[in-house]
Amino acid sequence: MAKTEIRLGGLGGQGVILCASIIGKCASIFGGKQATLIQAFGPEARGSACSAQVILSDEAIGYPYVKTPDILVLMSQDAYNQFIPQLKPEGLVLYEEELVALDGKLPKGAKAVGIPATRFAEELGRRLVLNIVMVGFFAGATGLVSWEAIEQAVKSSVPKGTEELNLKALKKGYDYGREHSTQLK
Amino acid sequence: MAASTLPRTVTLQDGRTIELLMLEVSDCLGLVEFYRTLPEQDREVLKDDVTTKEWADRFLRKVATKEIVCLVAKDGDKVVGEASLYRTLHGWTKHVGEIRLTIARSHRRQGLGLAMAGTLVKIATDIGIEKLLVNMVENQLGSRRTFEKLGFQKEAVLPRHVKDISGTKRDLIIMANDVSQIWAAMETMVQDYQPHRD
Repeated sequence: MAKTEIRLGGLGGQGVILCASIIGKCASIFGGKQATLIQAFGPEARGSACSAQVILSDEAIGYPYVKTPDILVLMSQDAYNQFIPQLKPEGLVLYEEELVALDGKLPKGAKAVGIPATRFAEELGRRLVLNIVMVGFFAGATGLVSWEAIEQAVKSSVPKGTEELNLKALKKGYDYGREHSTQLK
Repeated sequence: MAASTLPRTVTLQDGRTIELLMLEVSDCLGLVEFYRTLPEQDREVLKDDVTTKEWADRFLRKVATKEIVCLVAKDGDKVVGEASLYRTLHGWTKHVGEIRLTIARSHRRQGLGLAMAGTLVKIATDIGIEKLLVNMVENQLGSRRTFEKLGFQKEAVLPRHVKDISGTKRDLIIMANDVSQIWAAMETMVQDYQPHRD
């Protein structure tokens, strides 16, 4: 795996940090790679901007901050507006399509794939698992981490008793990501 | 364990394999037969007379309206256990469900009750039930241990509330499990709040 810089953004309460943490844990603990995580919050824990920076690599990571992400995982319009100028040319945007509207700011050569993650989470019974749908979507669309590793990472990260619904949410996002990954080729 | 993941097979401690599945209309006769073959001592702790056709009709109607979620255990074609979640669809206790569990004597102490009750707890949380109750008589120690393993705790005791087949009055124990706490933990995790931040 080449060094991949990822920026995740959304609102407090969407589980952005958990989403980032699971991706990092998946690559490092269950995938044998190196990973770093930096998290940032707005002035309020809930209802305001929240973002995280994750780097995945085969080699040791000397600098954990993400300046020009290869991948953006976005769950709010504010996050899109804030982070889209930083995206590398030919970078990838994975976004919650009912919460984020794309505009002409997408860098030339960049690709974007949306997912109705909130709707999927609600259909599964709990909006709370939106972030896990996004984790699955990330894994399925990018292929950077294996299904087995991401499944283990989710199982070991969520509270006891919630594993089943969380894994369903993960699978839903993963399948959707796999299905739409052809758009990235 | 969502209803959609059933049927599934469980292996008992003695190696027998049992199928757990949601009740189908075609299983109803088997269910009535299961209850008819239960010893009277076992049937007397049930709230209804489960050996009658009227009971079966009423039960099926409530399954159809989703007031009851019924799981049956089958050893081959034979019903050997029933676990049901009773709930009200309206009113101030619509977040509460009651679990009733009956296992054939031939299949007790093998982990079947735990598997069935555990499956129902997961189904209940998936359909939005926040609190689960189970009633049992004071001397049903095996059942009590089963539900304790699933996080149920004694919430109330109604002294000398039930009378057994010999006429002895016994305490009724109400155990409860606030399953909303399961998802409260997840809710806390996604708040994205860390007290020590840069």
